[in-house]
Amino acid sequence: MVRILLVEDNEMNRDMLSRRLVRKGYEVAMAVDGRQGVEMAQAGGYDLILMDMSLPEVDGWEATRQLRAAPETRAVPIIALTAHAMAGDREKALEAGCDDYDTKPIELPRLLAKIEAIVGKPPA
Amino acid sequence: MSEAFLPVEALGELRHELRTPINHIVGYAEMLLEDAVEAGRADRRAALEEVLGAARDALTQINVTLAPVRSQVPAAEIASLYGSLRQPQRRIVGAVKPLLAAADAAAGEPLGDDLRRILRAADRLVPVETEAAPELRAAPHGSRAASADGAVARLLVVDDVEDNREVLRRRLERQGYAVECAEDGRRALALIAARPFDLVLLDVLMPDTDGYQVLQQIKDAPATRDIPVIMISALDDMPSIVKCIERGAEDFLPKPFDPVLLKARISASLEKKRLRDLEKEYLRQVGEVIEAATAVEKGGYRSGMLAHVAQRADELGRLARVFDGMAAEIQAREERLRDRIRELREDIGVARTSQEMVAVLDGDSLKPGSRFAERYEVVALVGSGGMGTVYRARDLELGDEIAIKTLRPGFVSDFNAVERFKSEIRLARRITHPNVVRTHDLGEWGGVYYLTMEYVEGITVRELIDVRGPLAAPSALAIGTQLAASLAVAHEQGVIHRDIKPQNLLLDDSGVLKVMDFGVARLAERTSTLTEAGLVVGTPSYMSPEQLLSERIDARSDLYAVGVVLYECLTRRLPFEAGSTVSLIAKLLAEEPAAPATLNADVPAPLSALIMRLLAKRPEDRVQTAGELAQLLNQVA
Repeated sequence: MVRILLVEDNEMNRDMLSRRLVRKGYEVAMAVDGRQGVEMAQAGGYDLILMDMSLPEVDGWEATRQLRAAPETRAVPIIALTAHAMAGDREKALEAGCDDYDTKPIELPRLLAKIEAIVGKPPA
Repeated sequence: MSEAFLPVEALGELRHELRTPINHIVGYAEMLLEDAVEAGRADRRAALEEVLGAARDALTQINVTLAPVRSQVPAAEIASLYGSLRQPQRRIVGAVKPLLAAADAAAGEPLGDDLRRILRAADRLVPVETEAAPELRAAPHGSRAASADGAVARLLVVDDVEDNREVLRRRLERQGYAVECAEDGRRALALIAARPFDLVLLDVLMPDTDGYQVLQQIKDAPATRDIPVIMISALDDMPSIVKCIERGAEDFLPKPFDPVLLKARISASLEKKRLRDLEKEYLRQVGEVIEAATAVEKGGYRSGMLAHVAQRADELGRLARVFDGMAAEIQAREERLRDRIRELREDIGVARTSQEMVAVLDGDSLKPGSRFAERYEVVALVGSGGMGTVYRARDLELGDEIAIKTLRPGFVSDFNAVERFKSEIRLARRITHPNVVRTHDLGEWGGVYYLTMEYVEGITVRELIDVRGPLAAPSALAIGTQLAASLAVAHEQGVIHRDIKPQNLLLDDSGVLKVMDFGVARLAERTSTLTEAGLVVGTPSYMSPEQLLSERIDARSDLYAVGVVLYECLTRRLPFEAGSTVSLIAKLLAEEPAAPATLNADVPAPLSALIMRLLAKRPEDRVQTAGELAQLLNQVA
């Protein structure tokens, strides 16, 4: 089973996206801020991290940098998510070490395509 | 998230604020739509498709007004965006409510929770109109009548006709504003002076103090200048309108006024004021950050000075948080450096008391008391080395104490070398840094080339190591960080030292390190290589492989030498000990030096590793710049 870690502070976003991903056959764990996200990722076992960029405590940019700096999480793919969608955000996310980038509101087929491109389709 | 309405950076925040509820609406509606299709519920399906259609319309409006390519959007456009979002909001609420009623009627239907989530999100999209959806009035984000701090906006109505006042008061109170009235200009000014208002509706024609005079006084006083004033008058001729605008009125409404227009103008004015208040607060807080930066420069920054600004959710808040962290780090670093220098000073003190000045006086040395170059009086011989002899002297023209270094005739026979040397000295003279010995002049007197430079009372690192033996890590770090700092400045100026070694590093009594002989090595360079190994000058032990092999050298060669100096400071040994330059080169190419930590267990592992990195054989494997080295040395705990 493909395990996804969703790092997202907004409760409704968490509830909605996790349920939609579970429906598509993924296993989803959740963290509510950057610090918890980094801790959970370091505990291991995730195939992919979906990282909201505006997070309390440690924001998504910083969390990504921390994950990229630690040998045990360096290789875990990260997709950045943001509702800001400012010009240059994409480059900034890739520069911080994200593997891909998507904007909110989420278009599920587009996000699923990005997820599948990285970790493959879940078993039907 | 009221900070969302700040200029420029605020657009991203605002986009975030508006797109987040859209994200919720679309996400939940799509999920429910999947269920409806699966369950074959055509009624639900149509309603949910309507929700999705409306949400996409809203998203289009948001994306157009707040396109990422726009760096600034006028407040009026944002107000109009809010206006245009009401329609899709109504469509969403209208489609969801019947579904919710049906779901609630069929108890135990989990659908209800998700529909309520959609309504909550729609509610957040734009402040709800009280008339349209009274059941949603208790929206957490407040109604349109709110002012900047989220409180109910306070309006003052000024009109001499009682009926006019009462009609306006009732209408505005129904719209959620707190309203006070004044029957003449004098009373209005008294009320405004007594308490703050968010907006004034001002009749023009009044007995005694008329609307123009009231307006003038409001706009003249700094305390009330920013309160928006909307003029109301039956005089709708152009000159009176112009007169109002010229005196600073926000807007002008002719009587009898259209209630819809009045409502729109009031909210637009309040919105503008709110944005202005936020901007003023923003600028004030930017000022606080600048003040804090000045305080850091003067060493007066206290952690927590920006606590208030750091609470902001926007970029400025982030800046304040980052700044506070950086300032704390700088303070800790300075504290560390002070500790290291204190330790170094103790070492120097001990070394100086037990130091025996050994100067080999050769035949042609200058005698104390003698004149040199018709300008200097020799005070004492300081020392003599491979390149020449150093004297302490007095500059008779300026009265300063200086150092004179005479150069052995063997070095200056080559005309090209002298020219190269001169240009290098010219460059070196540009380096102004507390850790660099100032070079004054290059001269020639009686066939002897000499340099004059700043005189530093102190000892060399060579003497310190010889007397004290291996230094403790803090002392070595105090030497290393100051050396790296001086090289960073020199390298920026395009000057490579080429002969960094303990003999060239002076320490004064307060522990300040001064690097000597910037540019001087250029003169000896040609004779210090393998090709003329017999004439080796100075100390090949501190030279990088590329320097010994006459390859092109750059700033990283100096960093290699810093590595050797630190190695020696900590272990009292050289990385490669060899009897001749040739065997040194052979060892250097074939062997790895023992790590400092293996020779002296007191050397911290990170420092040992850093020194080994400086000693890398290939320049590209070393620390790349002196600035980076200074930083790394600072980080060694």
